[in-house]
Amino acid sequence: MTDSPSPERSIEQQIQTAFPGVIPDYPSGTALVQYRTDKLQLPELVRFLHEKMQGRLALLFAVDCRPLEKKYELQYLFAFKSRQPFVLVTTELIGDDRLFTSITPSVHAAQWYEREIRDLFGLIPQGHPDLRRLVRHEHWPKGTHPLQKDVSWNNVLGRQQGEYRFHHIEGEGVFEVPVGPIHAGIIEPGHFRFSVAGEPIMQLELRHFWKHRGVEKLFEQLTLIDAVLLAERVSGDTTVGHSLTYCQAVETLLDLQVPRRANYLRSLFLELERLYNHFGDIGAMCNDTAYALAHAHCGRIKERIMQLNDRLVGSRFLRGVMRVGGVSWDVDRSQLGTLVDELNGIQKDFSEVGAIIFANASLTDRLETTGVLTERIAWDHAVTGVVGRASGMDQDVRRDRPFAAYDELPVNVALYRYGDARARLRVRGDEIHESIRLIREIHARIPDGPIAAEPDRSAPPGAWAVAAVEGWRGEILYFVSAGDDGMIHRCKVRDPSFVNWPAIQWAVLGNIIPDFPLINKSFNLSYAGNDL
Amino acid sequence: MLYAFVLIVMQTVVLLAVAPLIVGLIRKVKARLQCRRGAAVFQPYADLIKLFRKQPVVSSTTSWIFTATPYILFASTLAAGLLVPVFMSTTPLNFAGNIIALVYLLALGTFFLMLAGLDAGSAFGGMGSSREAIVASLTEPAMMLSIFAIALTAGSTNLSTIVHKTALLEGIVTDPSPHLMAFAALVIVAIAETGRVPVDNPATHLELTMIHEAMILEYSGRYLALVEWAAGLKLLVFLTLIANVSAPWGIATSMEPAALGIGLATYLVKVSGLAVLIGFLESMFAKLRLFRVTDLLGTAFVLALLGLVFFYVLRG
Repeated sequence: MTDSPSPERSIEQQIQTAFPGVIPDYPSGTALVQYRTDKLQLPELVRFLHEKMQGRLALLFAVDCRPLEKKYELQYLFAFKSRQPFVLVTTELIGDDRLFTSITPSVHAAQWYEREIRDLFGLIPQGHPDLRRLVRHEHWPKGTHPLQKDVSWNNVLGRQQGEYRFHHIEGEGVFEVPVGPIHAGIIEPGHFRFSVAGEPIMQLELRHFWKHRGVEKLFEQLTLIDAVLLAERVSGDTTVGHSLTYCQAVETLLDLQVPRRANYLRSLFLELERLYNHFGDIGAMCNDTAYALAHAHCGRIKERIMQLNDRLVGSRFLRGVMRVGGVSWDVDRSQLGTLVDELNGIQKDFSEVGAIIFANASLTDRLETTGVLTERIAWDHAVTGVVGRASGMDQDVRRDRPFAAYDELPVNVALYRYGDARARLRVRGDEIHESIRLIREIHARIPDGPIAAEPDRSAPPGAWAVAAVEGWRGEILYFVSAGDDGMIHRCKVRDPSFVNWPAIQWAVLGNIIPDFPLINKSFNLSYAGNDL
Repeated sequence: MLYAFVLIVMQTVVLLAVAPLIVGLIRKVKARLQCRRGAAVFQPYADLIKLFRKQPVVSSTTSWIFTATPYILFASTLAAGLLVPVFMSTTPLNFAGNIIALVYLLALGTFFLMLAGLDAGSAFGGMGSSREAIVASLTEPAMMLSIFAIALTAGSTNLSTIVHKTALLEGIVTDPSPHLMAFAALVIVAIAETGRVPVDNPATHLELTMIHEAMILEYSGRYLALVEWAAGLKLLVFLTLIANVSAPWGIATSMEPAALGIGLATYLVKVSGLAVLIGFLESMFAKLRLFRVTDLLGTAFVLALLGLVFFYVLRG
């Protein structure tokens, strides 16, 4: 990461110098700079943003602009160091043009995005090194691209025969071990293909996307206001993260000011979601090393938090709390007081469990140096969230682009550099303490007032917005554009799992097969959030 | 003749009846340590009954080895159990073999289990068998050496003689260190051979990490019941061996009913105590990395070897 740009010159100025013909645009409401460029210049501009400006490819997606215009738009969203605006590069394929130049050769993180675009829109990334199907499994009939506007949402697909071609390693004593998609535990479906020489893993290939529900297509059948319910269900354990991100995007579209009290409550719910998931993850990691004692205690604490959720809002998973314009449940002062008391008790409890976990030599031996994800590989995959912060990627949306109440609640970001399973455990441990501290702050500072604002206008067709939230797994991104009559024209969902999954293929190299479940658990990615 | 027959029946019944209880007891101890109530200690009996009633499913790609293995495993483990003094110092199969026969009867079962793991042709079974081969080949020398260390003090490789002499405090050297070291080595061997934490995890659902469970993944119905029962039996045989070879006191040295009663009671106390100990050990440690298991078994070997050396050194 050399050639860092001089700090006094902004990103816009540097782009202006290097590409004088490209004109920036500032869409209202979003902290974002948009550049429109033709598809020939695009790879050069993207490469400049990634290599010279250290831009992280946060999102890459396509939009079918019909019925307004007969064209496809490709959108490349780049994120930069703390508190800089997003840069959105837009290019278009007009008329029947189906070809675009792949940027994967220079931006590795684009790999899955471009395959996804090809599967769902039928647009072909020329020069992409790996054009096998990703989302569209082989039994989908040829030519099915569900996100094209002329495909109806309730279209029933036929089946065809086909086989996915895995990469093979050949040689004496090299075996392939297929695992999944059906597993023994209560785990979502995913296929892992290992090539091993004895126990050490030489290669891991993922074959996921067994859970395609057509979520992005379903969004297009809903109004902007109603689709919160769908967003809640993208990934069951990230109810608040997804619904909050969606609401923020729609509020930008509708130019809606969320009351301060609602913002504090949103932060509260987001931190509660982070807490119960982190407790579950720490326990599950211990369980995968057969250290059942810590698993039992973490499970007990997780259950306490989920029961707290239930008492607060009537849902263990915090369903139904978010709405466009604010929140739908208020939490009164006495409830908040009880919550903080309970959490203080839980923090004391967890401090003891944490001391046992981190002092246990046999557990430490299992976690240290297991599944190392180096900072370089993390950067190349644009990894986010817990996994990124354990590999030295200093990023947290709560601090870098404050949303909800985080502009008034500074967050201390947990950061480790080793990138092994233990670092990922430590990030979670630190974030638990930080979340409880934040909830205490919320209790101390929450203002009185209304908990929701009513939308008073509709979004013009073609208007769009981008929103980002730090969910418990990492950065969640939504792009929402408005259609006619308050409907959604396009909603792009990006769960952190989608960018973190490919990185796991690198983290396992050189580890032994029996350590894979532990490495997988230390990432703990969503299969459903990955496959929309 | 009748006497020997009665003895065989009694010991067989005790071993078969107590084995599931030990498994249930360990699970109960672990559950209590995790603040859980846990299933009743008699749950393994119910599980066995349920499995015996179920129809087994056998893959069409398997050979006779797959269906024969549960019987071979069960029979060889039970035969090994009859070579060990349980509640009286005379063993039913005293005439048939010594400690070396015991070790290889157990190895016979393991060998067929490894074959059965490979037989169904699933990736997990093969992984389990290859890992079991590592563990089994390393436990064997450690186990032999540790029992030899004790055999030297008793002057015999016949378990019955060893236990009898030790129980009556005949021929015991004044320093117990060979015994203690052999005891430690045997505990490690027992943990490894019976697939307990930190070597293997009997409670996991993660196929990629399994050793023993991976080999038996394809079994169901009465076959699974036999394999599970044999696993419990093997655990009990090891606990019996540890208890009676290291501390045989209380065991019946004659056929009087009172002595037999005391022998049975002390036996149950001893193996229950060891089961509780295993429950505690399993709760204290995370599982070792697979390649660190060899270090642990190496430790067991060195301990047993030291026990042997100490015997000669102390004897002067």
